Amino acid sequence: MNSVHLLPEITIVSGGIHCRVVMRSTKWRGGVKRLLFTIAIVLVGAGIVAGSVWFLMGQQAEPATLRAKVSGTAVTPQGNLPHATLDLSIYPNSTANNPGPTGGMYDFVDKLGWPFYSPSTSLQLPAHSLVTVTVRQYDSSTTVWNPYFAKVHGTVDGTVKYNGVAKTQIDPADVAHTFTIHQYPQSTQPYFFVSVPMLAVGNNAKSLANGYPKPEVMEFSFITGAPGNYVWNCEDPCGNGYVDFGGVMSERGMMSGKVKVV
Amino acid sequence: MSQTAVIHEQKAVPQPKQHGKPGGFLYRANIFTGLIGGIGAAVITYAIGDKLVPWGTQNADFSQVGLNALVFCTFAAWVIGFMVGIGAFAGPIRWALGHDLTHVDAEYMAGKGQGRMKYWKYTTDHKVVGIQYLIMALVLFGFGGFFAMLIRTELGATWREVFDPNFYNSLIGTHGIVMIIAMIIVVAGPLGNFIMPLMIGARDMAFPRLNALSFWLLFAAVPPLVLNLVMGGIRDGWTAYQPLGTQAPIGMIGYQVCIITFAFSTGIAGVNLITTIVTMRARGMTWARTPIFIIGTLAAAIMGLIWFPMFQYAQVLAASDKVLGTSFFIPQQGGSVWLYENLFWLLGHPEVYVIVVPATAGILELMVVFLRKPLFSYKLAVAGFAGVVGISAVVWVHHMYMTGFAPAAGYPFMLSTELISIPFGFLVLVMLGTMWRGKAWNRLPMMAVYAVIIDKIIGGITGVYLSDVPVDQYMHGSMFVVAHFHYMLMGAGLFAAMGVIAYWFPKMTGRMFDERIGKIGFWTAFLAFQVTFLSMFVAGLQGMPRRVLQFDNAFEISNWISTIGAYCIGIGMLIFLYALITSWRGGKIAPANPWGANTLEWQTETPVPLANFPVLPVVTSDPYNYGVPDPYLKVQEQLDQDDNETVGAR
Amino acid sequence: MSIETQADQPESPTNRPDSTHRMKEWFSRPYVRRILIIFIALNIIIIPIAWLVIHFLELSGGPASSIMEEIETTIFVFTLVSAPLMAATAAVLIYSLFGWGLIKSEEPPMQESPAIRTNAVAVVGWITATSLLAAFLVIWGLVELATITADSYGSTPSSQQPNATKPIDINVTGQQWVWTFEYPDQQRIQSDILVVPINTPLYFNVTSKDVIHSFWVVEMGVKIDANPGAVTNTGFTANKLGTFNIRCAELCGMHHAYMETKVQVVTQAQFDSWIREQGGKRTA
Repeated sequence: MNSVHLLPEITIVSGGIHCRVVMRSTKWRGGVKRLLFTIAIVLVGAGIVAGSVWFLMGQQAEPATLRAKVSGTAVTPQGNLPHATLDLSIYPNSTANNPGPTGGMYDFVDKLGWPFYSPSTSLQLPAHSLVTVTVRQYDSSTTVWNPYFAKVHGTVDGTVKYNGVAKTQIDPADVAHTFTIHQYPQSTQPYFFVSVPMLAVGNNAKSLANGYPKPEVMEFSFITGAPGNYVWNCEDPCGNGYVDFGGVMSERGMMSGKVKVV
Repeated sequence: MSQTAVIHEQKAVPQPKQHGKPGGFLYRANIFTGLIGGIGAAVITYAIGDKLVPWGTQNADFSQVGLNALVFCTFAAWVIGFMVGIGAFAGPIRWALGHDLTHVDAEYMAGKGQGRMKYWKYTTDHKVVGIQYLIMALVLFGFGGFFAMLIRTELGATWREVFDPNFYNSLIGTHGIVMIIAMIIVVAGPLGNFIMPLMIGARDMAFPRLNALSFWLLFAAVPPLVLNLVMGGIRDGWTAYQPLGTQAPIGMIGYQVCIITFAFSTGIAGVNLITTIVTMRARGMTWARTPIFIIGTLAAAIMGLIWFPMFQYAQVLAASDKVLGTSFFIPQQGGSVWLYENLFWLLGHPEVYVIVVPATAGILELMVVFLRKPLFSYKLAVAGFAGVVGISAVVWVHHMYMTGFAPAAGYPFMLSTELISIPFGFLVLVMLGTMWRGKAWNRLPMMAVYAVIIDKIIGGITGVYLSDVPVDQYMHGSMFVVAHFHYMLMGAGLFAAMGVIAYWFPKMTGRMFDERIGKIGFWTAFLAFQVTFLSMFVAGLQGMPRRVLQFDNAFEISNWISTIGAYCIGIGMLIFLYALITSWRGGKIAPANPWGANTLEWQTETPVPLANFPVLPVVTSDPYNYGVPDPYLKVQEQLDQDDNETVGAR
Repeated sequence: MSIETQADQPESPTNRPDSTHRMKEWFSRPYVRRILIIFIALNIIIIPIAWLVIHFLELSGGPASSIMEEIETTIFVFTLVSAPLMAATAAVLIYSLFGWGLIKSEEPPMQESPAIRTNAVAVVGWITATSLLAAFLVIWGLVELATITADSYGSTPSSQQPNATKPIDINVTGQQWVWTFEYPDQQRIQSDILVVPINTPLYFNVTSKDVIHSFWVVEMGVKIDANPGAVTNTGFTANKLGTFNIRCAELCGMHHAYMETKVQVVTQAQFDSWIREQGGKRTA
């Protein structure tokens, strides 16, 4: 036998088991078949990953983009710029006529009692323009924790017209929501920060025919810079859970979304 | 050279009366009855609870306590129902009723005469439990790896958000905890259960029924965790920091129930391992003759047993905050966020040693066989493990340098963190000393040794940076930390585990591991691993925070490289998995001792019979009697002689 | 029958130590020499690697405070002092891949390796080396931590700091998912961008309104968690003009990745005029 190799001294008692190592040569048996199987498995794995990514991307449930309408030019402190307008509404809850965002995860979540921005939270604004946003706000107030967000920041003259009256801040107890645009982490796009508190309807406001009370109307303008991607969210605790920043506050499509400046 | 065995005559022990006919519950229970029990209990609990608990119940801060309680009870019902269904309580209930299990029952529970079906049942045989743990680990790695591919896809597609940010946050958290659980069990589970009793010359573990219990508790713990992704997600990292976790939807409760159950599983397994190792070693196996793998497994089990309750407790309190509306971690109502962090990291640090220590011990064990040399300084290795166990208890705050809870704590914990590198260094010296002048047998398990040492070097130096508080002030919370722990846990942990499993594969499955394909998979994964995580170090150095789905342009290139690398790791791991599965199903039949090793598990047949050894062995020396006398010793002795002669001649 | 050895020398004083011939013999072994060469080569390679690490750190604008400079020095020094041990490990590893022979066989190989169970010199030497390295790292770290703590709090500045001036207090509030800053001593101005004058100590009171955030002023090398219900402190003195990044370094929810803002280091005059501008707006 070719066992010239010296097995170490087995100083362990065994019940008389004697090991003989019998080996056959390892040819590359069925080599091509194995190679094909291996490649197949890798492709299946890649397919599962790609398929899951594609499926999950569709679950994002962000509403269709709302583009600001460009109409004419406006005089601004930075000269004559194209003027774009955007109309948004904030509803306190969903109704049959006004269901809010649907699809994706919203098919599983009970969002009836959640406030939302309508018609969309994905906004597209033109670059280097004056954008005037009009917001109709139908929701009641929740006190904002951080008085910073009861003030107006980033608008072209530092004010917002609340039902026609220009102000630079409102009472923190009267804030229903905010519209706060802040930065994507890209140093190649301009820093962009706009934060506008939304005035709440009174707690005893009567509901009209459409199920909502008479809205407060906010109008404000800001100047966009070079193209870039930004996110925005409401900074007023209007959700549920810990410090009311859970629930709707932590979902895209209702109280937070994306802003694309193109 | 074998010695004759002395067989002591066995006295007949009176057996209890045989209760329960064949066909009784014990004989029918298996994973399917378990699933019926678990899902049934969950559905019933949910249905009843739904009626009892008014969903609209909100307390003052609108936290939907009612829904959280309902979901928690549903998951708890799943776990308990599953354990009932699989027959976990059959033994204790029979004992309480006075119908104790007989020898025949015990053999049945150990899987005698059931063929393949025993792997689907509450089987107590440690070999069956070991295989079950191996499958579970592979499944968990599959999940975790799949999530990793998704994560890297998001990070590679730098121009857009691929996934919803909340889903991405849940994805990274779930990837983390699934991989942590998989790494904890991958060496201590299959090898600690299957190989360890064989290696110490025992017939089974000290508590066979607890062994089965620990595995099936782990099995029951996994669905709540993985289901979180469809229940809104945990939206938090694997650390599940509170109070962020209280904002998360009900998916967080799945995480909490998983950890609470998993901690029970680990505690039970730890008790089992420690008792077996301490009390059931073969005759003559003194501590000095115990293989180093056993020492490593013992060290890990001790750490796990002491520290896992901290993690469990943190989750109990967090669940209580969510379900009962307490405020342990809610500062606005008197709680403390730092309490959670401390409780978590009290386990969080020893946990990484629970992962790395068995893998390292396994590597040390196999190095000896493939280098045909004794282990270099066994005593130093034991001292290394002991030092790691001891000091790991007092380093946890290095994860919390930046929390601000006690700025002065940075000083002593920096000291202890640097100190722990010393016993860890002992293990590195033992590896180097064993490799020194050794002619290596170039098989797959040996290759893992090289991979592990390279990864330990890089992981170690980056750990030195992180242990320094000022440097950590820059690095904490950045991708640098992520790359560091992947080097330690995956580089030095997973690759070691792959080598160790390839080493004991012939004994566990009766077949030889297909090395040709296995090597291709292993080295692909290893090289891709270096590309992925070295690039990640660069991203961290540049200032990229962790747990972000979008980041500055400056980090784009390193992320693209990491993503390509990660895909290649996936390919390599798939190839390795393919090698594993084909070898298991149709590989070459393995002889009893293909590696020519000295330890006890190789001295019994393959496949290992139910009773492990026909006669329990008696050990007369340590298993490291390899090698030939050092030729240079003669040279040195001659030099001494000449020297003495020269001196004497004067 | 004495063998020719390196110790074979003409008569020398009788108090010659015994052990040098063992050491000389060891160093004459071919594998030892080769490992030494690899060891030295690796030590040399570490230097550009250390430089590269610092280079990556500085890519986003370079050190902008004395604290960051300390951190960079530390990283560089730590890399260099750890180099010998890492190089020794790697050298043995590399040599073992080709130097002592690899066996390819199906059967367990012949016993050819020397049965070295231990080596007192190696063990003692290694323990000493690792302990010395650990001691160096600890002492350096403790001293450095004390230094940057002093630099952060500005109260007893280190030698690298300008003369102690009263630090500017800034309250930092982290909220999901925006950083806001308040200057209590500058007419309580609030801002979303941190504007600070150069070469002036700054002292931050950091807190959070909701979950744990982490206030990371990247290029200044300063980080402290923002905890709800508590105020933590840090500080620095900026020594470079420019715009740098502030990022959140603790996962805080959906827009954690987007919780970024800027820190602008300006001259004292620019800072004063910025304050006036902001203060003017505030009084509406």
